Amino acid sequence: MQQRNKKTASPSLSLGNFASTIGENLLNDAKISTRDVNVSYGDKQAIYDASLDIGRNQVIALIGPSGCGKSTFLRCLNRMNDTIGICKVSGKLMLDGEDIYAKKMDPVLLRARVGMVFQKPNPFPKSIYDNVAYGPRIHGLARSNAEVDEIVITSLEKAGLFEEVKDRLNAPGTSLSGGQQQRLCIARTIAVSPEVILMDEPASALDPIATAIIEELIDELRQNYTIVIVTHSMQQAARVSQRTAYFHMGRIVEVGDTNRIFTNPRHEMTENYITGKFG
Amino acid sequence: MNNTETVKAGLKKRYAREKRFQFYGKAAVMSGFVFLIFLLFDITTKAIPAFSITEILLEVPMDRSSLGLSTDTSVSIDDEAIAAIDYAGLVKKSLRSQFPEATKRKDKKLLYRLMSGSAEYELRQLIIDDPGLIDGEPLSIWFKADDDVDTFYKLKRNTSRIKAQQVEFIASLKTESRIRTALNWDFFTNGDSREPEQAGIKGALLGSFWTLLVTLMVSLPVGIAAAIYLEEFAPQNRLTDFIEININNLAAVPSIVFGLLGLAVFINFFGMPRSVPLVGGLVLSLITLPTIIISSRAAIKSVPPSLREAALGLGASHMQMVFHHVLPQAMPGVLTGAIIGMAQALGETAPLLMIGMVAFIVDVPDGVLDSATVLPVQIFLWADSPESAFTALTAATILVLLAFLTVMNALAILLRNYFERQR
Ligand SMILES: Nc1ncnc2c1ncn2[C@@H]1O[C@H](COP(=O)(O)OP(=O)(O)OP(=O)(O)O)[C@@H](O)[C@H]1O
Ligand SMILES: [Mg+2]
Repeated sequence: MQQRNKKTASPSLSLGNFASTIGENLLNDAKISTRDVNVSYGDKQAIYDASLDIGRNQVIALIGPSGCGKSTFLRCLNRMNDTIGICKVSGKLMLDGEDIYAKKMDPVLLRARVGMVFQKPNPFPKSIYDNVAYGPRIHGLARSNAEVDEIVITSLEKAGLFEEVKDRLNAPGTSLSGGQQQRLCIARTIAVSPEVILMDEPASALDPIATAIIEELIDELRQNYTIVIVTHSMQQAARVSQRTAYFHMGRIVEVGDTNRIFTNPRHEMTENYITGKFG
Repeated sequence: MNNTETVKAGLKKRYAREKRFQFYGKAAVMSGFVFLIFLLFDITTKAIPAFSITEILLEVPMDRSSLGLSTDTSVSIDDEAIAAIDYAGLVKKSLRSQFPEATKRKDKKLLYRLMSGSAEYELRQLIIDDPGLIDGEPLSIWFKADDDVDTFYKLKRNTSRIKAQQVEFIASLKTESRIRTALNWDFFTNGDSREPEQAGIKGALLGSFWTLLVTLMVSLPVGIAAAIYLEEFAPQNRLTDFIEININNLAAVPSIVFGLLGLAVFINFFGMPRSVPLVGGLVLSLITLPTIIISSRAAIKSVPPSLREAALGLGASHMQMVFHHVLPQAMPGVLTGAIIGMAQALGETAPLLMIGMVAFIVDVPDGVLDSATVLPVQIFLWADSPESAFTALTAATILVLLAFLTVMNALAILLRNYFERQR
């Protein structure tokens, strides 16, 4: 399974061997696979030659110091970068063998299949019910109001929020606590039944208890969804993910089973980062 | 000197600077406030007389011979006969019976001049509405006094226009309690008139209403659509930049230029009628559009990106994102801009002069195609009139315009609060 990236385009930097990713970055039967992805914002390149496979029904954690390109990489996976005019993406990104950046791939459909949860909870300024019902409604996933009701309830249940809000589904989503809002955003994403959920530091604005609830939730969701999570917390990565990818200055330095990465990192920079020597 | 002392030494200066700045601020606010109070006080004191009117009580005989009708009771009175009655003569007759001592031609003439010209029309309307009054008891009716009498009596101001003989008449009416000042409803229910005691602002008020309606119907949808397109969909290129610069410049073009444009385009080229609210509204739309576009764009721009991302992340299309999320969120700002634009349109005078909305129009407009004038133009017209009673009418109209503006601004605040609660 272990392969090496062939490309050696980049100038080698003083921080060590940057030319390629070490570890198990490629898989058989990946849900999403990316090859030689380069992303730049105008003149500034943010991702260099990223090749990474994302396994089915697994959680993969993307870690690395601030500004290393984790969010940028994540946002390539559902083409959220399209909204940034200066952002250019090259390389190959495949979702179940379909080219994500192909002309005939509709970003609207793609985002229905690859949902996203953001760092800061961003519920719509609408009722809790409407927040969750919005996705199914615009995609025409429910034929009747009863079906919408059902989707809303099951999504809220899966997100572990239903018990807390069942008496006030008409209250505005913004009236919830931060942790509840983030679970509402997760419920909203689940309601569209995506295949993949991208999470960009979903717990960074939350207290330890709300974080624990979200982490538990991620672990449960893994049964049915493929999850990519960006996190700054080593513990969180260790707790929720099966695989971990370490990013550094726009490159994927090392990828492997989470256990292996945290117990036996091969790259010096990975080791430095997870032991807290820098980053 | 250690750090603390250095800071302490500087502190005094800093506080002094703060105090000074606060003083300037307060002084600026105060002077603005004083000017405002002075203005309001001046206008209000001038306007008060316009809201009351002097009336004189007359006994009008209702027997057939006084009315100049056939005294044969078997002859029924038809509409034609009623229309033919000499109402002016009837008013004069009533006056003469009130003052039998006025026998000389000159005295009679002065006597007749006590009453407003509207008295005969009022009497006529009364009898046409209820022909059963004929043959009945004499009627006691409060008729409007002439505007000179009104000014003299109401304001206790002696003018050369009131002769000594008339002063006596008025004094005698007063001892009999046959003269009073009453609320001047006609100011709100009449159209313009050459006679100040009959002039009202209903025509201008409705003219303003129809004109603003057209302005709103045209500039709001066009403005919002343009703002959405420019902000959300337009490609970022030279042409877009050019359009943007031009819109910003249009906001600064003197409004009279728009009037000339309206005259050339709507009236001369498209052949629309002059003086109508439709054309006025279209011209005002041109003036308000830049305001609405600029403020709507600012409102749309200020919608947080996280909301956009939330919608797009769920698979909403660009269009759905704009109409389901961005626009509702931007609505308070858009509406505020629209109402500021409307308030601006309400006060515009110059461009409307160019398209002929300055004509003397007595009739109250019933729609956007009736000749009309608007409140600020009415102010302009009356301010120009020689009769002193028009000064009060001018001031009163300014007050009404200010009230109109206040209502519009209050509406803006209410709407904004409503939409803010919605989100
Ligand atoms: N919209 C943008 N325009 C220009 N440059 C950008 C933009 N977004 C990100 N970048 C740049 O791309 C690089 C990677 O940013 P990215 O947000 O992906 O980092 P990150 O790993 O998510 O960091 P963090 O952990 O702080 O969120 C950074 O150098 C950043 O300055
Ligand atoms: Mg980030």
